[in-house]
Amino acid sequence: MQILTQLIFSGIALGMIYAVIAFGYQLTFATSDTLNFGQGDALMLGALVGLTLVGLGVNYWLMLPLVCLFGAFQGAVVERIGVRPAIKIKSEFGWIMSTIALGIIFKNVAENVWGRDDLKFPSPLPESPLKVLGANVLPMEILVVGGAILMMLAVEFFNRKTIYGKAVVATFNDRDAAKLMGINTALVITFSYALSSMTAAFAGVLIAPLTLTGATMGAVLGLKAFAVAIIGGLTSGMGIIVGGIILGIAETTTGFYLSTGYKDVPGLVLLLIVLAVRPAGLFGKTAIKKV
Amino acid sequence: MTRSTPFGQIALALAAASLTTLCAAADPIKIGVAGPFTGGSSSMGVSMRDGVRLAIDEINKSGGVLGRQLVAVERDDEAKNERGVQIAQELINKEKVTATVGYINTGVALASQRFFQEAKIPVMNNVATGSIITHQFDKEPENYVFRNAAHDSIQAPMIVEEAIARRGFKKVAILADSTNYGQLGRQDLETALKTKGVTPVAVEKFNIKDVDMTAQLLKAKEAGAEAVLTYGIGPELAQIANGMTKLGWKVPMVGSWTLSMANYIDNAGPGGEGARMPQTFIQEPTTPKRQSFIISYLKTFNPKNARMDSPVSAAQGYDSIYLLAAAIKQAGSTEGPKIKAALEDLKTPVEGVVTTYNKPFSKTDHDAITANIPVFGEVKAGKVVYAYADDQKKASVVQLKK
Repeated sequence: MQILTQLIFSGIALGMIYAVIAFGYQLTFATSDTLNFGQGDALMLGALVGLTLVGLGVNYWLMLPLVCLFGAFQGAVVERIGVRPAIKIKSEFGWIMSTIALGIIFKNVAENVWGRDDLKFPSPLPESPLKVLGANVLPMEILVVGGAILMMLAVEFFNRKTIYGKAVVATFNDRDAAKLMGINTALVITFSYALSSMTAAFAGVLIAPLTLTGATMGAVLGLKAFAVAIIGGLTSGMGIIVGGIILGIAETTTGFYLSTGYKDVPGLVLLLIVLAVRPAGLFGKTAIKKV
Repeated sequence: MTRSTPFGQIALALAAASLTTLCAAADPIKIGVAGPFTGGSSSMGVSMRDGVRLAIDEINKSGGVLGRQLVAVERDDEAKNERGVQIAQELINKEKVTATVGYINTGVALASQRFFQEAKIPVMNNVATGSIITHQFDKEPENYVFRNAAHDSIQAPMIVEEAIARRGFKKVAILADSTNYGQLGRQDLETALKTKGVTPVAVEKFNIKDVDMTAQLLKAKEAGAEAVLTYGIGPELAQIANGMTKLGWKVPMVGSWTLSMANYIDNAGPGGEGARMPQTFIQEPTTPKRQSFIISYLKTFNPKNARMDSPVSAAQGYDSIYLLAAAIKQAGSTEGPKIKAALEDLKTPVEGVVTTYNKPFSKTDHDAITANIPVFGEVKAGKVVYAYADDQKKASVVQLKK
C-alpha cells in the first residue's frame, strides 16, 4: 500500500510538471486555434533567465514576476513574427512551421548564452522530503502542484468572469463576428500568446529545481505536456490537471509494475485511444465546425 | 593554394621565433581532436580537449616533433553519431590530419572510426570505454584504432569486485540508461556478477532526460537491494541520487567512471556523496609528473574551485598526445601505417600522467590500460578522492601495464 501511495504521489508530482507546461498550449488554442510548438523552449528560456537572475542575487520569489514579464514579452514576439503572418493569409499550417522554427532558434540562442550543460537550479524550499500518508514528498513538488492548481483557477476565472476573458472566448468562437462586435481580435491573440509564454516561463522556474536546467530541457517535457493537453482536452483547464495526473501516474506505475523500459508507452497508448474515441479530449467541448 | 600561403607564413614566423633549424619551416603536424564540447557529456569532452591542448603546448615549446610543430584541429561532435561521421570525413579529406585523438561516446567512436581505418590514419580513443571499440576491425589485417582509456570489460568486474567482494553486498540492483553505453555496460555488469554467482535483484532502465526515477528506485528498494550499480552519464545519475534523497532510501552507489563527472557531483549535491567509481587518475599530486600536470592544468585553464571537471578525461587526453608524439618520432614520418607500426612497438617508455607506458600496444592488443591500473575514487565534499587510503599510499608507485 505504501508503495502504491508513493507511486501515486510521485505520479501526481510528475503529472503536474506536465500540466503546468500544458496550460500554455491551451491558452493560445483558446483564441486563435493555433498552438505554440515552441512551448518547451519558452519554458526553458524562462528557467534559464530565472537561473541567471537568482545567480545575480535576486530572491527566488522576487524573481518570479520578472521571469513572467520576460515570458510575456517573448510570447508576444513569437506571435508577431511567427503566427500573425500565417493567420493573416489564412494559412492552415504556416504557424506550425514558424513556431517550431522559432523554438529551434530560441534553443540555439540559449545554447550559446548559457552553454549546453545541465545546471542546478537552487531550490527555494528545503530539499529534505516530508512524510505524507507514509510516502515521501518533496516540498518543491507540493509547490508545483499548488502552482498548477492556481494557474488552472486563474485561467478558468479569467475566461468566465472577466470582460477580457469573454473577449477571448468570443474570439475563439467566431473570430470574424467578434471583430464586428468591436473586439480587437489581433490584440486578443497577441495577448493570449504573451499569456501562454508567461505561464511557460513561470512553469519553467517552478519545475527547474526538480528537473535539471539546460537548453535541452524543453524538448522532452514540451512533448509530454502536449500529450497531456490532448488527453485532457485543449479547451478545459480542469482537463489539463486530470490529463497530467493520468499521464504521470501511468508512467510511474507502469515503470514499477510492468517494466521501466516501457514506462512511456501506456500514456501514449492512452493518447491514441483518446484521439480515436474523443478527439476533443476527455474534458474538451466537441466543437462543431460548419463548413 | 591561396589559403596555404598565410599558413606557411605563420609557420615560418613560428619557426623563426623558436630559432630552430631550417627544416622547422615545414608545415605543422595536424592532429584531429574530436569530442563533445557541449551537451551532457561536455565535462568529459572539454577536460579531454584541455588535456590535449596542454600536452601539445608543452611539446611545441620543447621544439615539436620531428622539428615540426603540432597543431590541434578541434571539432565538436555534440555526442551525435552523425556529427562524428561528418567530422571524421572533414578531418581526413579537408584537414588531412596525421592522426586523431578523442571520442568520449562509444556510439560516436564506433560510427566515426571506420573512416580513419579506411584512410589508414591512426585513432587514439582517449575516453570512450565501450569494450568493442578496439575490436571493431579485428578481422582486417591492419587495425588503426588504439585506446588509452579503461574499457568496460575492466570497469564492470571492478565495480562488481568492489560491491560484492570488498563491501560484501549480497543483493544489488543495476540501473543503466537506454543508450549504447548504458546497455553494453549493463551486459558487462551482469556477466561480471554471474562469475561471482550473483543475480541482480533488479535491472532497471531509464532514458536520457528522465526527470523522475521513483519507479526504478522503488523496484530496487522493494527487491531489497543493498547497493545500486549504475551505468549512465552525469545528469541522470544525479537524478538517481536526488530520487534516493526524496524516497529517504540511501544505499551506496557504485558505478562506472562517469560518477566522477562534474555535472553528477554538482547536480546531486549532498545526496551524491559517497558514490564510488573506477578512476585511472585522481586529482592528487602523487607523483612529480602528476603534480606538474595538475599545476599547469589549473594555471592554464583555471577551472572553478580548482577542480578539474573530469580529471580522468584530462589526464587521458594529455597522455594520448604524448603517446602519439612518441610514435611519430619513432616512425620518423607522418604516414599513418608507419605511425601505427611504431605504436604497436614503442621502443622507449612514455611517461604519462596515468601510468608510464612501457610497450603499451602490440599487434593484437590495442588497449593501453589494464585492470591493475585504475583505482576506486569516491565523491567527497564535491570532489573525487581516493576511496581507499591504501590506494593513495601506493599511488606514488606507478602501476604498469600487465
